[in-house]
Amino acid sequence: MFNPVIFNKDVCTGCNICVDVCLMGILEASTEKGKPPIVKYPDECAYDGACWMQCPQREKGAIKIVPPLPMRVSILRGEKP
Amino acid sequence: MRTGIEVVQIDTDVLIIGGGLAGCMAAIKASEYGVKVTIAEKANTLSSGCAGTGVDHAWAYIPLIHEQMGWTIEDLIEDHTQLIARGFINKDLLRLVARENYDRMLDLEKFGVKIRYEDSQIPGKFRIVHQFHTMPSSFNFDGYDLKIKLTREAKRRGVDIVNRVMMVALLVTDGQAAGALGVGTNDGRLYSFQAKTFVMSTGRANRLTPSVTGVWGNHRIPVNETGDGRAMAFRAGLPVINMEFLSSGYYSIGNYELNLGSPRNTVQPAAAVTDADGETIVPRTQFYDWPNLGKEKVDATLNRQKMLSGGRNARPSYAQLYRQGEGPFYLDLTGGTEEEIKYIEWSIRNEGKGSLFLDYLKNQEGFDFRKDRLEWLPNSREMAGTAASGLVVNNDLESEVRGLFGAGDDVGGVPWAGAPGAFTMGWRAGERAAKEARAQQDYLPVNADSVESLKESCSGMLASKNGRHWREVEMAVQNVVDYYAGEVRAEKTLRRGLERLDNIKKNASFRAENPHELMRCLEVQSIIDNAGMVLNASLERRESRHMPFGFLRADFPEQNDKEWLAFLALRKKEEKLEFSRIPIKQ
Repeated sequence: MFNPVIFNKDVCTGCNICVDVCLMGILEASTEKGKPPIVKYPDECAYDGACWMQCPQREKGAIKIVPPLPMRVSILRGEKP
Repeated sequence: MRTGIEVVQIDTDVLIIGGGLAGCMAAIKASEYGVKVTIAEKANTLSSGCAGTGVDHAWAYIPLIHEQMGWTIEDLIEDHTQLIARGFINKDLLRLVARENYDRMLDLEKFGVKIRYEDSQIPGKFRIVHQFHTMPSSFNFDGYDLKIKLTREAKRRGVDIVNRVMMVALLVTDGQAAGALGVGTNDGRLYSFQAKTFVMSTGRANRLTPSVTGVWGNHRIPVNETGDGRAMAFRAGLPVINMEFLSSGYYSIGNYELNLGSPRNTVQPAAAVTDADGETIVPRTQFYDWPNLGKEKVDATLNRQKMLSGGRNARPSYAQLYRQGEGPFYLDLTGGTEEEIKYIEWSIRNEGKGSLFLDYLKNQEGFDFRKDRLEWLPNSREMAGTAASGLVVNNDLESEVRGLFGAGDDVGGVPWAGAPGAFTMGWRAGERAAKEARAQQDYLPVNADSVESLKESCSGMLASKNGRHWREVEMAVQNVVDYYAGEVRAEKTLRRGLERLDNIKKNASFRAENPHELMRCLEVQSIIDNAGMVLNASLERRESRHMPFGFLRADFPEQNDKEWLAFLALRKKEEKLEFSRIPIKQ
């Protein structure tokens, strides 16, 4: 339905820490060593970000969480201060 | 039928069911008494529970600061009792939290949690903010990785952590807790634990109603907290209190359910709520005047009276304002100084889903607190924090079943106990459970039929071709709870709700393709039991209990303190329900 967790296969080392810590157990390690995990149950994501927080390659952009449209915040934009 | 589900037998001295904040604290403390301690955790203790991805505030009596103010521990207790709980509280347990949480914060510091800051002007170099109480009394701290640190400390002390096992049954022998059964959510094996004592700390009952955005999983409280602890206790014949208090949704930041004390709702300074034209609905908060700490002694009674009559920090009912056509509402930090905005961002980053949220806000939305405003929107409904539901325990956190202790959000009667409740109750429950386990020689025998019956029901779901997907049943239950235990309830509709829930139960034969889906099916069974408790308790409480409880019975519109200023307990006795009222000591 949605694609909440997006891995960058060029950066992700396939360490699978995200698989271990996922609160909802929605990720599955790839059968190919060194490859990003598979998002097996995308519509059970809790959007808590544990996978993203504990990703050792986070700063390099290995993992991105994208909230689906109904969850995106409503913003009233102001002028530059 | 598929057979041959493997049974893993684990023997320990103290079994902790649920490894959130309370469970980890219980394990750490229990390990000091030379007993074998095991945590059974449905997910992974590194990320599970309400503080799985952080908690940044915890109220406490802080002698260093409060003595200078002339604010006593009894003032803190009275503030909490009157302002938060409106007298609807187990004051003995509240006293435990109030007395001991300062020491627990110092323990957390020993485990590597940062609670002191060089730039702080506050004694102890702490960061202390207002939360619920008339005086600033909440530690603000670096808690985003608290669960990682607690897990590390528990392991260092030799605690055995069994992750990815969902506990589903508590086995009681002659009035004493004897064993517990769980299911491996990855390996599909059945886990049979024998222990001398037990701590129940699985957390809150969530997923009882649909999420407000329609996105499954978008609830404030972690969605894998399905009230498993109270469901287990209820099935084992223990009483559970306050289940009628399923609240309407509050308002908070946007549609993204955050599990954090959002600015202006709880702790942070500088946040105001304004309307579309920029008119103030709730004025901005300020940092406390720390340089003048102690110059003037506080008048605690007067402050409480002011706050009760709608003074500082009074929150309007946004739902009511909305109905009057006064929305939309915006969280407005545009008047904040750089220092304040930096502080707020630090605070958001340390709690709940805030770390990810802030990253999303900045990098995916290009949001800037200095100029942009965030719309304030309703949250999903949840079990009320104002009248905490859960197990009935004594001052030592022990339930009426000997050897079964409760901790954290599995304990009923301490509203908004939150992190301090988890720290202190976990610690005390761990200590008591360890001491009692040490005094006990042997394991009690458990009923072997219960293992066989769980094996059979799990095999049935795994082998089923025609059973229902868990989500189908969950949606049906959620809709029933949402409609019949809605904003206004009444006898006839509640009875109809119970009939429909019964009907769902009759049709709820599940199918599970694998252990992961089996876990979800077992969660829905917890949800069904919790939903039944919500509807039954709502039917039995024949009064209304107005704000902040928001429990409205159309057929009993008055609040009736004479008869109902009491915790309503419900329990299963010989397949029938039994209700009792536990008087509240004032």
